[in-house]
Amino acid sequence: MTDPVVICRGVSRTYQQESVPVHALRQVDLTVYPGEFVSLSGPSGSGKSTLLNIVGGLDRPDEGSVSVGGVDLGELSESKLADLRLHKLGFVFQAYNLIPVLSALENVEFIMQLQGVSSAERAERATAVLDRLGLADMLHRRPGELSGGQQQRVAVARAIVSEPVLLLADEPSANLDSSTTKDLLELLKQLNEEGMTIVTATHDAMVMSYALRQVHLLDGRIEHDGQTRSA
Amino acid sequence: MKLLFQLSIRNLLRNKRRNAMLLVAIAVAVAGVNASNTLLRGYQYGMLESAINNLTGHVKVMAEGYVDDPNVKHSFQLNSEQLPQLPVGMVVGWADRLRVPAVIMSERETRGIELVGVDPAKESISFIGEAKIEGEFLQGADDGRVLVGKELARQLQTAVGRRLVLIAQGADGLNRERGYRIAGTYDAEGTGLEKNYVFVGLNSLQALLETEAVTELSVRVDREEQRLPAKSALRAAFPDLQVKDWRELDPQVAEMFKFADASLFIWFFLMMGALTFGLVNSLIAAVMERVKELGMMRALGMQNSTVLVQVVLESIILMTVGVVLGTGISLLIYWSIADGIDLSAYAEGAEMVGVSSILQPVLLSEDVFLVAVMSIILGILASFYPAWRVIKIRPLDALRR
Repeated sequence: MTDPVVICRGVSRTYQQESVPVHALRQVDLTVYPGEFVSLSGPSGSGKSTLLNIVGGLDRPDEGSVSVGGVDLGELSESKLADLRLHKLGFVFQAYNLIPVLSALENVEFIMQLQGVSSAERAERATAVLDRLGLADMLHRRPGELSGGQQQRVAVARAIVSEPVLLLADEPSANLDSSTTKDLLELLKQLNEEGMTIVTATHDAMVMSYALRQVHLLDGRIEHDGQTRSA
Repeated sequence: MKLLFQLSIRNLLRNKRRNAMLLVAIAVAVAGVNASNTLLRGYQYGMLESAINNLTGHVKVMAEGYVDDPNVKHSFQLNSEQLPQLPVGMVVGWADRLRVPAVIMSERETRGIELVGVDPAKESISFIGEAKIEGEFLQGADDGRVLVGKELARQLQTAVGRRLVLIAQGADGLNRERGYRIAGTYDAEGTGLEKNYVFVGLNSLQALLETEAVTELSVRVDREEQRLPAKSALRAAFPDLQVKDWRELDPQVAEMFKFADASLFIWFFLMMGALTFGLVNSLIAAVMERVKELGMMRALGMQNSTVLVQVVLESIILMTVGVVLGTGISLLIYWSIADGIDLSAYAEGAEMVGVSSILQPVLLSEDVFLVAVMSIILGILASFYPAWRVIKIRPLDALRR
């Protein structure tokens, strides 16, 4: 069996909310293997986004260990975590979070510019990815000139252009209608079939139905973890 | 870097009104500082010019003891071969003079003055060479007539062509008295000069005082920066005499000169300091509006240092454009007042000490450059706090805003 992409062992996370401790995660163990399409589901406050953020290096657990792509996140400084996110991870946010002053093409090139990729290669790869996602005619439009679905596709393009080890999507369908959500999920499914490992936090049943593996959380614990459909 | 520059320019254009107002504020501040600098420099260099013109020159050679006791007994023989070979273009001119205290009498009044024996041909280096003359200028070092200040002539109730009696102490310590006809009256920049100095031909005065000596050799250099090399050369050429420059001979002017330099800095920091607060405020607003966006960029992998550079770049671009605009405005202001500002209605006190009533602005490229560079540095410093405020926020917390 190949090495896991994500290994979480005994991960706990507690927040203080007006001096009241909130146990977002309690001793969570999770392993994600290459090529999996995992949905983290559960009601609000179940800890799914918290777990996703910890796996993505945006948050640190109070207890336990997390490793991504063989790297123990607990040993990394903030600077090294940023580096890891830049080179190994792809993020798709609920609110798209595109840079409003950059065009679709420039938003996709943004990651590669941070990585130091040459100008010619950046343009070529960004154009190819946007073309693949059906946005060939939208390259020079700014986010304000794109629909919600188009913006989300640009966000996906940005997340996958540097071929990350792991794609993390936090409520990717939250601001989309059902038709657009379906298009997005077909895209994610296609990417997964090509070998991309995807972990998504969602409460959307349609998203869950596309995932190959559902991890259901309740009150910070994994209640259920199993295959939902064949790859 | 291109990405950051691109982001910075576009972010600045996101709020055109706010940034345009900030640009105007920067331009006005820079223009104000530069314009006031030209006036302050004009006052400073006007003072310097007056001090040098006031028979002081840049450097002066005198006998020991003359400064404390300006008497003909503290004089020296000048041999033209003693003059050092100074580089071509360094020395504008030099003048040897015999300068003694004296009493001047007309039919009606008596005054104490300084009697100055000069070679008129050499006096282009002092104020007397440029003064307006009513009557005639002295015709040579042998000219036995006097040139009197207009104000002194008025006080003595005398005029061109009339006779005056001058009494001065000779080389033997005995008083000498002689009558002189007034060749002309001179109108200098200051009534103080006019009341103090009476000029006569050098040879004529030497004959009266029975000496062949002079009391000073005044040297004027082309630029202030050449003062010290000229002083060193003269010290080497005249090891037995005192060689002093204008700073030593006129310490009050020297202190005022330094004070003017300090004033420039104080004024700059007052103006730009006030502007910096406004800049910090504006940058904080601009940056905090984009907390979520910057948090997202950091979530994607942008380093905090890169965020800092991006915010600093925005400030640099703003300041640079503002500085360029402000410098352009200040150049226009300078050119509009380049002929000088007539302060004669307010400047009677200045005239008394020989400072011109026309304030001539002086634009120094190093001043303009310093203002530009310091402004941009202040802009960079001003951007650190807003950038720090943003970086302090965790990317996750920024994304949740």
